[in-house]
Amino acid sequence: MKVEGEHIFKGTQKQVWDLFRDTEVMATALPGTEKMEAVGENVYEAVMNVRVGPVAGKFSGNLVISNENFPETYTMTVDGRGKPGFLKGVGDVILSDQGDGSTLMKYTGEVQIGGKLAGVGQRLIDTVSKSIINQAFDILDQNLVERSAAEAEGREAEYQGASEKDYAATVAKDLVGGVLSAPWVKKLKGK
Amino acid sequence: MTYKVIGKRVKRVEDPRLLTGQALFVGDVSLPGMLYAAFFRSDYAHAKVISIDISQALEIPGVVGVYTAEDMGDDWEPGPPLVSPPPTLENVVFNSRRQVPLVKGKVKHAGEIIAVVIAESRYIAEDAAEEILVEFEPLPAVVDLEKCLEPGSVLVHDDLDTNLAAHLIQNKGDYEGARKEADLVISRRFHLDRGAAAALENRGIVADWDEKNQHLTVWDATQSPIPIRNGLAARLGLRTHQVRVVAPFVGGGFGPKIMMFYAEEMVLPWISMKLGKPIKWIEDRRENFYATTQEREQIHDVEMALSKEGHILGIKQKFIHDTGAFNPYGLTTPLNTQSHSMGGYDVQNYYSDLTVVFTNKTIVTPVRGAGRPQGIYIVERMLDIAARELELDPMEVRRLNFIPPDAFPYDHEIIDQAFATLIFDSGNYEPAFDKALEMLGYEDFIKNEQPRLRAEGKYVGIGIVPFVETTGVGPYEGARVSVEPSGKISAATGVGTQGQSHMTAFAQVIAEQLGVEVSDVSMVTGDTAEFHWGTGTFASRGAVVAGNAVNAAAGDVRLKVLKLASKILETPEEELVLEDGMVRVADKPDQSISLGELALLANPLRGAVEPGTEPGLESTKYFGPAFGATAFGVHGMILEVDPETMMINIRKYITVEDCGTMINPLVVEGQIHGGVSMGIGNAYYEKLHYDENAQLLNASLADYLIPGSTEMPHIEVHHANTPAPNNELGTKGVGEAGAIPVPAVFAQALENALHDYDLEILETPLSPNRLYELLQKKEDNS
Amino acid sequence: MENTITVSVTVNGTPYQRSVDPRTLLSDFLRNDLELTGTHVGCEHGVCGACTVLLDGEAVRSCLLFAPQVDGHEIITVEGLGTLDNLHPLQEAFREAHALQCGFCTPGILTTLVPYLEENPNPTEEEIREAISGNLCRCTGYQHIIDAVKLAAEKTDP
Repeated sequence: MKVEGEHIFKGTQKQVWDLFRDTEVMATALPGTEKMEAVGENVYEAVMNVRVGPVAGKFSGNLVISNENFPETYTMTVDGRGKPGFLKGVGDVILSDQGDGSTLMKYTGEVQIGGKLAGVGQRLIDTVSKSIINQAFDILDQNLVERSAAEAEGREAEYQGASEKDYAATVAKDLVGGVLSAPWVKKLKGK
Repeated sequence: MTYKVIGKRVKRVEDPRLLTGQALFVGDVSLPGMLYAAFFRSDYAHAKVISIDISQALEIPGVVGVYTAEDMGDDWEPGPPLVSPPPTLENVVFNSRRQVPLVKGKVKHAGEIIAVVIAESRYIAEDAAEEILVEFEPLPAVVDLEKCLEPGSVLVHDDLDTNLAAHLIQNKGDYEGARKEADLVISRRFHLDRGAAAALENRGIVADWDEKNQHLTVWDATQSPIPIRNGLAARLGLRTHQVRVVAPFVGGGFGPKIMMFYAEEMVLPWISMKLGKPIKWIEDRRENFYATTQEREQIHDVEMALSKEGHILGIKQKFIHDTGAFNPYGLTTPLNTQSHSMGGYDVQNYYSDLTVVFTNKTIVTPVRGAGRPQGIYIVERMLDIAARELELDPMEVRRLNFIPPDAFPYDHEIIDQAFATLIFDSGNYEPAFDKALEMLGYEDFIKNEQPRLRAEGKYVGIGIVPFVETTGVGPYEGARVSVEPSGKISAATGVGTQGQSHMTAFAQVIAEQLGVEVSDVSMVTGDTAEFHWGTGTFASRGAVVAGNAVNAAAGDVRLKVLKLASKILETPEEELVLEDGMVRVADKPDQSISLGELALLANPLRGAVEPGTEPGLESTKYFGPAFGATAFGVHGMILEVDPETMMINIRKYITVEDCGTMINPLVVEGQIHGGVSMGIGNAYYEKLHYDENAQLLNASLADYLIPGSTEMPHIEVHHANTPAPNNELGTKGVGEAGAIPVPAVFAQALENALHDYDLEILETPLSPNRLYELLQKKEDNS
Repeated sequence: MENTITVSVTVNGTPYQRSVDPRTLLSDFLRNDLELTGTHVGCEHGVCGACTVLLDGEAVRSCLLFAPQVDGHEIITVEGLGTLDNLHPLQEAFREAHALQCGFCTPGILTTLVPYLEENPNPTEEEIREAISGNLCRCTGYQHIIDAVKLAAEKTDP
């Protein structure tokens, strides 16, 4: 499965780069994260609860950052397994300076899924993953602002995350929205 | 021959139990002290197993044991070879690799079993299975039928230096010579993909080792209890009389419940013997999608040479068949494709090159149709294309090429799935074909209705496809028929029943011979304690092979009845009639004796049974045909396509079916309806989607869509009758027939409906999505 | 069992009380705890309809309910429709029309249709197809089921 997308962050390349290395911030962006910690240089371990439609369960795995070219590009490799199946992905992240203090993040990658996640969750995974990523970006946006503000004010940042419940509700809304925007549904509604 | 009971629409004797929830399925078996199994299966399709940690699973209260391959020691061995390669062909390559009870070393398809948990309840067993920790080293998966043969490809079986499972060539006449004479040579490439049998009942096993009796009873949702009994005895070091396999009511078979020797069938009886306890496992739907066999993935390169009048001069094909990770069932399925790629046509020159490959997908064994739908699809598609190129009526081209009625028995000079020469025993194709055209109103549709509807902007199309089905193959089946002192009849045969109405149809055959009511016959099928010679229910052979064995046994009992009654009534046998459970003197109704009384007299408590005779009114007989009985049929359909959604509306569906003598037309119609529904699934809804890692992406009935009541049309069935000449009943099989031509009918009708697009369909299954894609591609190219 | 819950339920007119693991599915409860094995399980995810039972008269999927959810309610299973010697008219019609082959899906189709026919005594073919569209049958192609429903409707029509 291919994943790709982009998002503009209100911050410099360096700020965005640092943001993505802050495990505390990342954990807030992905509700259901039970654990996210660095276990070596550029190697992180995470435990996350994942729900894709009828498939739910705990994933554990690691995330490795490589090919670093500060502050522009890096490669991210994830490898996770759990009761719902397995997930393996490699993606490239490109950060480009927009010239107005904001940074455009582009990502492209290839994800393999297996087990229940593939067999039962496949039909939903595209929408669910997009919803998760978009929600995560929204939270990261807020936390980037907070991070910069706290830095400027010389205080500890207070990061906000979404609750697992709110998060799931948005995923569900996006799922239904995805279905209702299909062309054949429009036709049916028209009838 | 005029029959009294055979050929009647008799209500089924098995129904009251099924309708009231009183019928025993494997899932209903409950024994004192029974334990439950759950499996840890690999999510990966191809991976090395580095380590297995069962310690956490063992700590869960209620868990009795966890077993891995290592625990089986010397008892671990792959399943038995079920069907060897054909011994009569030269230069056959056949690499046999059979499924294993528990994975050792390397996983070869997703769903293979790494460990078994035995616990006090299924819930606990499943909980514990989730606590098993296995470290895998994932490997690239072998998926593509062609790339897997390229040098350097990843190998499914490391001990083979290739993914080639088999290769063989069958040849008749001289294709290359015929090609030179041809006015038209067309060649096309076809992609045929996988589907599931998806019986409503998943598989299930209850294994019960009785230590004191030294006896193993296995209830198994199988189509073939006898081979399973024989195999289990051999593997477990038991005598055959120490093992009883019962296939009680089975909730649909459709092929995959064949004598596969599934991993679960091997491992659960073994554990029951270790623990001395009954163990139950009922497959869940997701397991069914990974661990139960599937079928139909093939790539064909086909060439057809024709005269300008439309005569087929020859067919050449080279095809690759995907057998999945193992090939326990040998070459049965692709041999069927080879046997059916000439359809019911007189083809003098035929060259068929078959390659079978291993991939990291679920194992392939026959699914209703078993290679035949692919063969029919190929030949019928080629004829449609040829007719277009030659500007001939596609129906005329078919009529022109049918094997004529005086050419039977027709020798195809190749071998079939049973390794016998492919001989079509009988047939009368043209009248049946004409009947189908008439039922569908072909001429009127083409001349009047279709132009009118097209003018209204409707996309309506017609498809008509004739097909043959080789049925009723050997080796043999047997039956025992016995008159009880009550006058009722008890009978048994080895084939199991999965909805085919055996208990009624065979009872009709017995009732016909012995002059009793159908309800007086109690028929046991699929219990090795009752009958233990035979193979099983497959290849549309129940009514033909077991049916004729039942007929032979009942006929022999009839002779015994007549002989004894003649003595007692002091009347010559030819003057006796059997009716209403009595033997009567033909014109003297008061001179009679009941079957029950005769049964008592035949089994005296004093005196001696005369030398050379046997006690009782009982007989066991066998039937083994030298070659099968070939059925014929035609399916036709008029459908409408919504050009925006690609959803279809089947306006009319007709079938003409020639399965020879019908024992029970109601049952035959039911078989056809069910076959068509599976065929419609195969044609337009059902496809197993594997990704490039051999992960199945639609492993639930919410994602893998089998036709529901609103997808099914009303089907009009007409029966033609060309009795099979080589069996006494004249029966031909019909169990698989309904499914065979449907994808070809769909392709023809869809092309016809979407004539604006000039579409050529060279694949199956289709779906609304896929059809949309094909049309988009067509538009993009033009 | 450490954590159990008591379920009191009337099934086919007989009151039952059982202590069960709270996560016990209604289908498993009926089949294992009450030994009413006529209710079949074909998919465990609410698609096939084989496990359909009547909960206070309404057709529901017993594989999608937990046993404790039916505490205090009334259930009818296929065993409650008719007996071997005295089939329900719909069961009789199913037999007459050969509306079942392997019979595995049949209990769920019967329990779906019984309340349906009470509310719609004279359905058209299209309505019957709609009514059983949530029940999968792999053997019959549904045609004989539709014939049976028509037959049952004719017979009960005064």
